[in-house]
Amino acid sequence: MTTNPHIRADRLNVYYGREQALKNISIGIPANRITAIIGPSGCGKSTLLKSFNRLLETNEQVTISGSVSVDGENIYGQGVEVTAVRKKMGLLSQRPYPLPMSIYDNVAFGPRLYGIKKKQALDELVERHLKQSSLWQEVHHRLNDPASSLSIGQQQRLCLARGLAVEPEIILGDEPTSALDPASSQRIEQRFLELKNDYTIIIVTHILRQARRLADYIIFLYMGEVIEAGPAREIFEHPKEKMTREYINGTIS
Amino acid sequence: MNKRILEETVMRTLMKLSTLLILSVLVIILITILVKGLPALDLAMITQSPKGGFYLGKEGGILNAIIGSLYLAGGSTLIAVCLGLPIVLYLNIFARPCSRLVRFIRFSLDVLWGIPSIVYGAFGFTLMLFLGLRASLLGGIIAVTFLILPIMCRTMDEVIRMVPRELLHASYALGATRFETAFTVVVRQALPGIMTAVLLSLGRGIGDAASVLFTAGFTDHIPDSLLRPAATLPLVIFFQLSTPFPEVQNRAYASALVLTVIILAICLTSRALTGRYTKHTIK
Ligand SMILES: Nc1ncnc2c1ncn2[C@@H]1O[C@H](COP(=O)(O)OP(=O)(O)OP(=O)(O)O)[C@@H](O)[C@H]1O
Ligand SMILES: [Mg+2]
Repeated sequence: MTTNPHIRADRLNVYYGREQALKNISIGIPANRITAIIGPSGCGKSTLLKSFNRLLETNEQVTISGSVSVDGENIYGQGVEVTAVRKKMGLLSQRPYPLPMSIYDNVAFGPRLYGIKKKQALDELVERHLKQSSLWQEVHHRLNDPASSLSIGQQQRLCLARGLAVEPEIILGDEPTSALDPASSQRIEQRFLELKNDYTIIIVTHILRQARRLADYIIFLYMGEVIEAGPAREIFEHPKEKMTREYINGTIS
Repeated sequence: MNKRILEETVMRTLMKLSTLLILSVLVIILITILVKGLPALDLAMITQSPKGGFYLGKEGGILNAIIGSLYLAGGSTLIAVCLGLPIVLYLNIFARPCSRLVRFIRFSLDVLWGIPSIVYGAFGFTLMLFLGLRASLLGGIIAVTFLILPIMCRTMDEVIRMVPRELLHASYALGATRFETAFTVVVRQALPGIMTAVLLSLGRGIGDAASVLFTAGFTDHIPDSLLRPAATLPLVIFFQLSTPFPEVQNRAYASALVLTVIILAICLTSRALTGRYTKHTIK
């Protein structure tokens, strides 16, 4: 599965000021699979995720060395447009942050940035992506309402639709269900299982059971280092490292 | 335990007292203006320009100053928004946060905020002499813009700083540039605060006398060009109060009433307008 990874990190080091958050990370993320990044709190999961869409560099104190390639191209290379990198990825954060505009405008935000202006084309995009994130049923009669009027679970699905509307290849989720109720979480998980046919999905999760349910591939981080990475079944059933075994059994957390 | 409850009660009483104090000052001012000004107020006052001898108690009104003040405050507020918004977006979105430059700009704005308006008037006047301008609407607008720019910037700055980082990240993650994020997401999110900043500045600009004393001049005519002098309400009040005639002094209170009503009207309409936009704000 690592033969032709969609994303590949190579000797990636990340520092916040002096403190090193990621240490010499070299991993591959398989295409059209769900990869789960697991590990205890503060081990660098969010940092690793944010290094993939270059959101890390919005923090001035961060220094990054090494490389991350998407489709074989180093996204930290010279002359790479950061917006082009980000367009390839949709992001779901821990808590949904809809943009301060209507439901419709939230989904149309990305397409408008990329020059789609015609109302008909936008209408069609908005409908398609709201359906894809199974929100259409609930909101089609009130697309002009403010996005903040939705429930948190609906907002998270709106954020998914908003991310899908820029037609990315990759979906990044940083504990995307941790603020949601069980029913909403399940809907998001269901979406992920369907979307993985067309997208490469990477989620950070605290919940081992969620990782078991969703993931095809697991990356286990501990104190900024990759302890073990591999197919989910191997990791869960025959972990090579003692530490992985302990984490999975709940002895370290 | 008792000590804590006592502390709580004392503090609460103090807070209530100070609120009461401020409120009563406001109420007393309003009552004074109403009692003294209302009898002196008539339709002519707000529909006519001064006829000869208005400041001696003869016929006429203060329409010229009403219009002059609106032009002046409106013009300078507009310029201050156009200059201030980019400054504030630069400070919060584009510049490195907490860099020396950013701290220096914030510090300068705070200092500028504290400078008395007469100094801005004098500075504006010097600038006008240098540019070869005479006392005019334009001169007044320039001086008042200097006066309100720091207020505008720092007030907007405080609200834009409150925009959650994650909201910016959500926009960046969709591939938006900083510029696109600033002018769509940030401005919308901070719109209520931006409106407050504009209102504060407008109120300050329309009510200030010292900065326009030398720069805008004074006239009995409604200004019809940027290069003509313009009368303003604060100066009208000042001139009327400094005459020895009681009926003219009462007109000063009527003028103050007009000024207060204008400010109130501006506040209420913009509150109503922002209500329509704040519904999108993310909490
Ligand atoms: N903005 C920042 N400035 C300084 N240090 C940071 C910053 N963000 C994260 N760190 C540090 O980097 C390390 C990794 O943080 P990160 O947020 O990636 O952890 P995480 O695995 O996502 O944790 P959690 O499960 O709690 O979300 C932590 O030690 C944290 O203290
Ligand atoms: Mg995290």
